[in-house]
Amino acid sequence: MTPVHLFNVISQHNRWLSARQATIAGNIANANTPGHKALDVAPFEMALESARLAMTATSPAHMTTGSADTPATAVRNEEPWEITHSGNSVSLEQELIKAGDVNRAYRLNTGVLKAFQRMILASAKV
Amino acid sequence: MFDPLQVSLKVGASGLEAQSKRLRVLSENLANAQSTGKTPGADPYTRKTVSFESEVDEATGASLVKVAGIDRQRSPYRIEHSPGHPAADAKGFVKLPNVDIMVEIADMREANRSYEANLQVIKQAREMVAMTIDLLRST
Repeated sequence: MTPVHLFNVISQHNRWLSARQATIAGNIANANTPGHKALDVAPFEMALESARLAMTATSPAHMTTGSADTPATAVRNEEPWEITHSGNSVSLEQELIKAGDVNRAYRLNTGVLKAFQRMILASAKV
Repeated sequence: MFDPLQVSLKVGASGLEAQSKRLRVLSENLANAQSTGKTPGADPYTRKTVSFESEVDEATGASLVKVAGIDRQRSPYRIEHSPGHPAADAKGFVKLPNVDIMVEIADMREANRSYEANLQVIKQAREMVAMTIDLLRST
């Protein structure tokens, strides 16, 4: 199971989803704040690639890029559906759709994780 | 290291608080839509307005929302001719509050919708935490 890094990838994805949920919460809370720009986190593929390209440090003297264990919280401005007169670019519908996506992906991840954990447990407690 | 899901709960709660304050001010406006002064020529109730601003949480860097201030609307009062009213001036005109009930009700619906959206975020963040905890439960 180690070559797949399954547990690592899943927990990384869940960390990313949590960060995204926090960003969405900020957008929705500020849905009526004048001048608030809607934010979103950088896509997970980017976080995953930067983590995969990180070099292994075999000696304490090696320098690391430090991207392997930090969650992807690079926040970027997203393309808004509409901008109201007050300069606010939060669309409640768009944010709720994103929140639904996050929730579904999280459920999928924990489901997969649970299946694998059950597999390991089945072999462990004979 | 803070937990982003806990941050979501906090941000959602700040949204709920801001929207309920807004609803409180709206209800004050509606309740006082007919409140005139008592002495001749006195000013009636003035409509209150709420404005929001985002506030960065020092510990987590999340953008919370808070009520920036409750101001008075600076639009003219409605004038009605009603001699004999306690608040009528020398010509018999009474100043009525500058509250438009339709505007208040539309605003109330908007506050309602925002409150609901914040509640939805809190619900989903809680669900995600519960899903993680469920991993520990033996099946």
